Amino acid sequence: MSAQEKRRRFELDDRGFNEVPRKYRKYYRRWEGPGDKLQPNEMLCPVCKVVVRSNRELRPGDRLYCMACLTRLRIAEGANDELEAEVEY
Amino acid sequence: MDPKSPEAGDEPQELHDLPPDAFHERVHSFEHWLTSVHGYLEERPWGHREDLDAGEISPEVRDRLIATLCNYCVGETAALEGAGGLIRVAPNRASKIFVATQAVDEARHLEVLVHRLRELGVEDPETEITNRAHPSLLSFKEKLLALVANGEWLSALFAQNVILEAMEFTVFRHHAGRTDPVTRDLLIGIIKDERRHIGFGENELGRCLKADPSASAKLVTVRKQLDPLVLETFDLALRDLGAPVEERTELGRDYLGAVGRLGIA
Repeated sequence: MSAQEKRRRFELDDRGFNEVPRKYRKYYRRWEGPGDKLQPNEMLCPVCKVVVRSNRELRPGDRLYCMACLTRLRIAEGANDELEAEVEY
Repeated sequence: MDPKSPEAGDEPQELHDLPPDAFHERVHSFEHWLTSVHGYLEERPWGHREDLDAGEISPEVRDRLIATLCNYCVGETAALEGAGGLIRVAPNRASKIFVATQAVDEARHLEVLVHRLRELGVEDPETEITNRAHPSLLSFKEKLLALVANGEWLSALFAQNVILEAMEFTVFRHHAGRTDPVTRDLLIGIIKDERRHIGFGENELGRCLKADPSASAKLVTVRKQLDPLVLETFDLALRDLGAPVEERTELGRDYLGAVGRLGIA
């Protein structure tokens, strides 16, 4: 089984993020601050501090869009093997 | 149907699978702006929910709040005039449409802030704003509008959407966490608009600098000219809000993060 096939899938629900058109709300949620633990399918947008969510577990190289601040992000491996988002212009 | 069109029906199962061009076209559309702001402004006439009660505000706190809101009005007026002028200067349709929506956002911010001043008992907001304006913020406004008048797209965008908006984004978030419920609700609505403005500024600048890295030298100069004015304004605003000195440095991180990512050191 390939690494791609092993990815966990996530059913996204509407968390009340009302800053984007209704049909895209499930892809975002508010960040609750430093104690807010991100799930494997979530990443904090470094530009506007909104949590961006995906249907699938994130891996280095993945692309995400932050619709709240119009930013394209690329997932990268950061310090301590943790994933981080880099802004892609 | 144009596959890039916001009306295109071939939406992928996952938003993040959209081609970059299609995402760019969509989020820079008037349609996207309208359906985004509708979600949080629908039930907020004059920028805040009508069922909120500000509670008792002491004369000292009220006076400080009025001073702070007056300076927000100066900043929003600068951004309104700046964004309006940038429609002509913007290099392409998507940017023109975006800065047009930003001008509307800034007009709303100014209007709801003036309305809040009236709610706080200020009878003549225009005079009050003039009397309370920090000189450093007025100087910043003058320099920003000169860049716009000269048609300097990158420099004006940097001054307005990175420097000014990052300061406002930070100060408003801090203020929202320690003020009365009415002012808080109003500021939260403004912060939601500011996310688009700072994002547009950073991304547009990032794309332009990627295509022409030599343009960063000009932005470094602009930063050197405007940084002291913004930092002084930032410091005065946070002092008015009662933020401890040690917190003020911490609060400048968003701005430093943006200029760091853009390489404008």
